[in-house]
Amino acid sequence: MMTVLLLLIPGAAALLALVLPLLPARPGLIRSVAAVAPAIQLMAALLCWRHLPADLHLDWVPKLGLAVDLGLDGLSLPLVLLAALISGMAILSASADQPRSRLFFSLLLATNLGAIGAFMARNALLFVLAFELVLIPTTLLVAIWGGERRAGAAIRFLLYGAASGLSLLAAVLALGWFNANGLDFSYEALAHAELSPAQSRWILALLLLGFGLKLPIAPLHGWQPLTYAEAPIPVVMVLSGVVSKLGAYGLLRFGVGMLGDSWLAWSPWIAAAGALSAIYGALNAIAQTDIRRLMAYSSLGHMGLLVLALAAATPMGLQGAMAQILAHGLIVALLFGCVGLIERKTGTSSIAELSGLMNPLRGLPFTSGMLLLALMAAAGIPGLVGFPAELLVFEGSWQAFPLPTLVCLVASGLTAVYAVRLYNRVGFGRLDNARAHWPTTHWGERVPLLLLTALVVVAGLWPTAITGWSEPTTAAMALRAPLSASSVISQTVLPS
Amino acid sequence: MISPSQHRWADVIHRLEAGGSMLPDSPNNLKQIIGIYKAYAVPMDFYWRDLLYIAEQVFLNPLPAFKYLLPQEYLDRPNSYAGPAGSPRIWRGEASAHPELLAFMAKGEMGAMPRLLHHLWHDRINMEFAEACMQAMFWHQGMGGRFNDYLDSEPYRANADRAIKAYFRRNPLMLGLYKLWPEMMLEKVKQLSYYANLGLFWEVMAPVFFEMSDLYDEGKLTSVPEAMDFLVNGIFAIAGRPIYHNVMIEGECFEIVPKSEGFTWLYEAALPYVEAVFYRTSPFRGTKSYNAQANQVPDQQADFHYGILYADLFPVGSAGIPPTLLMQDMVHFLPPYLKEDYSQHGRGESDVLIQLGVSFQRSMYNVTSAVIQALRAALLYPLDDTNPDHLKANRQFFEAQMDRFLRPEARLGEIQTAHYR
Repeated sequence: MMTVLLLLIPGAAALLALVLPLLPARPGLIRSVAAVAPAIQLMAALLCWRHLPADLHLDWVPKLGLAVDLGLDGLSLPLVLLAALISGMAILSASADQPRSRLFFSLLLATNLGAIGAFMARNALLFVLAFELVLIPTTLLVAIWGGERRAGAAIRFLLYGAASGLSLLAAVLALGWFNANGLDFSYEALAHAELSPAQSRWILALLLLGFGLKLPIAPLHGWQPLTYAEAPIPVVMVLSGVVSKLGAYGLLRFGVGMLGDSWLAWSPWIAAAGALSAIYGALNAIAQTDIRRLMAYSSLGHMGLLVLALAAATPMGLQGAMAQILAHGLIVALLFGCVGLIERKTGTSSIAELSGLMNPLRGLPFTSGMLLLALMAAAGIPGLVGFPAELLVFEGSWQAFPLPTLVCLVASGLTAVYAVRLYNRVGFGRLDNARAHWPTTHWGERVPLLLLTALVVVAGLWPTAITGWSEPTTAAMALRAPLSASSVISQTVLPS
Repeated sequence: MISPSQHRWADVIHRLEAGGSMLPDSPNNLKQIIGIYKAYAVPMDFYWRDLLYIAEQVFLNPLPAFKYLLPQEYLDRPNSYAGPAGSPRIWRGEASAHPELLAFMAKGEMGAMPRLLHHLWHDRINMEFAEACMQAMFWHQGMGGRFNDYLDSEPYRANADRAIKAYFRRNPLMLGLYKLWPEMMLEKVKQLSYYANLGLFWEVMAPVFFEMSDLYDEGKLTSVPEAMDFLVNGIFAIAGRPIYHNVMIEGECFEIVPKSEGFTWLYEAALPYVEAVFYRTSPFRGTKSYNAQANQVPDQQADFHYGILYADLFPVGSAGIPPTLLMQDMVHFLPPYLKEDYSQHGRGESDVLIQLGVSFQRSMYNVTSAVIQALRAALLYPLDDTNPDHLKANRQFFEAQMDRFLRPEARLGEIQTAHYR
């Protein structure tokens, strides 16, 4: 019942938002109605935390192996919570006078429906359907409400998304078709699929392409900077905080969970790709002149850390990957929430045009204060959620891949470089007399940032809040046992 | 009579030639500048008293921790230009400290509590801005007049030497230090002479501003040029008043800068003040840090631009910076009509300090206009002179003055528009 409820809520709310023309056209009212859905979803998911609901199984197209298999486990429940939370915050972050608000919020809720469906799916074909469902509303959101270059951004986003979906569909179909045990796309069946090593590696290659495009990681990130720069801020919050996590979840669920041997065989290359993405993202972030694009490359870098942890596939590494998914989801939503507010008040996200936002009288001291905290969290400052996540990633990966881990450590250090550079220019300095006549932020706009900030701090001080849920599941999925100290020494120091 | 000016600020120059101010004439501008004059005059009534107290009584106290705790004697000290005994009586009010100032000093924002707690909590009139202005005058030097040269003269050194020895007659340690490094003490006394100089300058300006506020309230000041003319007339009326520096040591008066030297208010205080604080300006502590290794310290002192007219308003709000403290001093004494005006613009009460700072800039442009017109009247020709050569001379004078506001930091262009707030 609860699993169905989690899906029905956004679906019903999306429809309700669409039929609200029956009510007076008040964007604020529609936004409130839309925000109730993720709030209920969040509470329902929290209830599931105490007692995981039973899986739901309904045959849909048995001949194709397609069934409505829904369930929650240590991997999917935290992500459902994250998706509900970020969706709610994104809706609340939208402008009170959002143009064409019915369609806008309806599409945001449809995105939520797709993402939650993908996280809860226990059938690979259903996952692909939900995964593809996300692409449609997000493309429309970018195309209709985006910035000046929205057409280009939407087309690029759609092409990359379609490539990702096709690649994933091919991988899932191959998984099912080549399975010597018969046509069954349920996760349980696929986890025990009998595949030849060659088949397994081809499928893994397709999965890496499909999910790598969604995450994204370098060099598959071509859609990301432009989309993040052009999409409306609530949409960017959902894209970076939820949709990109579909890629991470998919790698963990399918790559690590179903193709373990091939994953292990290719893990050095995957780790190298993660390290490359991390350093590439961080270096590019340093060079950006627009906050949105800086955040896009920062996100790329952090996804590199995540991929490194997945490649290691040690218990601590996988735990770190889950922690990084959740931590990055919170941090990036907070970052973009701050950027959105800055943009709404000042009319720009250009670093060169902004300065002195910390000015207590005419600046945006609250928003820039939250931005500072979010940047500190992204840089892995202890006490904030980024720190335990990165610590777990590095601890979990170090023994398996010392060199890529070192590269990622450097990339993590570079996060502080671009964070300080950004804040020094935007937060400090002096306001421009000619420009600084911005309205101040009001409490309604601050609420999403305050909630996200509270979670960033609480999860930083109480890390098990984000790792505890998934620890048994990730431990069971680990492909490498944690190495003892003596074995590490013998492998790295003693001659063979 | 003469062709239009081609200067960057030609419009402003033509307005000055027509007897106007650098600040455009509008009811809102008049409201802002008069309201600010009043709000400025109340803390200024404290500033001049405390400046004279420091110059005359605190003097060389090596630990002047209580120099801002003004004794009753100085609060009661009659202003020479207010009250029935004022000569000339510029303000029709009382000569002792302004009632609003006394009321604020009694309670502050925090309510009644010991004066030291008010002081430590910065719930007080802040002297930092006044001292920053004094330092600007002392620092720039060479601003015309004879006062600064006199500080290097033998008579001044002899007067200062007597006062220093008298002040430290029971303090062999300080006398020993004076013996070892006499210039150190002398330099400090020179600074104190500038305390006295600025204190005497503001003793005049406070009643001038109070009277302007009263006239505005009575409907007798109706335009910006009228306000400027009142200042010009005031300048001429007071021009010859003496500038001096006396020190009281154990009941004995030591004349460090005697009245007999003939230093006068206009040439030794008003003009150097305008030159140092308005035109040349100086960096306030906290507003700018210069990196000497990167050659960021300007070669010319005139290139510093953090004074009044060149004030960057956005350091306002940062703790401890003199303009911020001045704005905080003024905000306690805003007239109701200006509070109402500020509440309807910008962020209302949230950014009142900045709105107040912009009004202050406007009002000081009007003061500067008065000084320019006064100088023109004293040195050149009437505005209605029919001799083209005289008008050209006036034109050259105005253009030379306007050359000093060419830098964008001066924001002369901004104050020409109503939306600059």
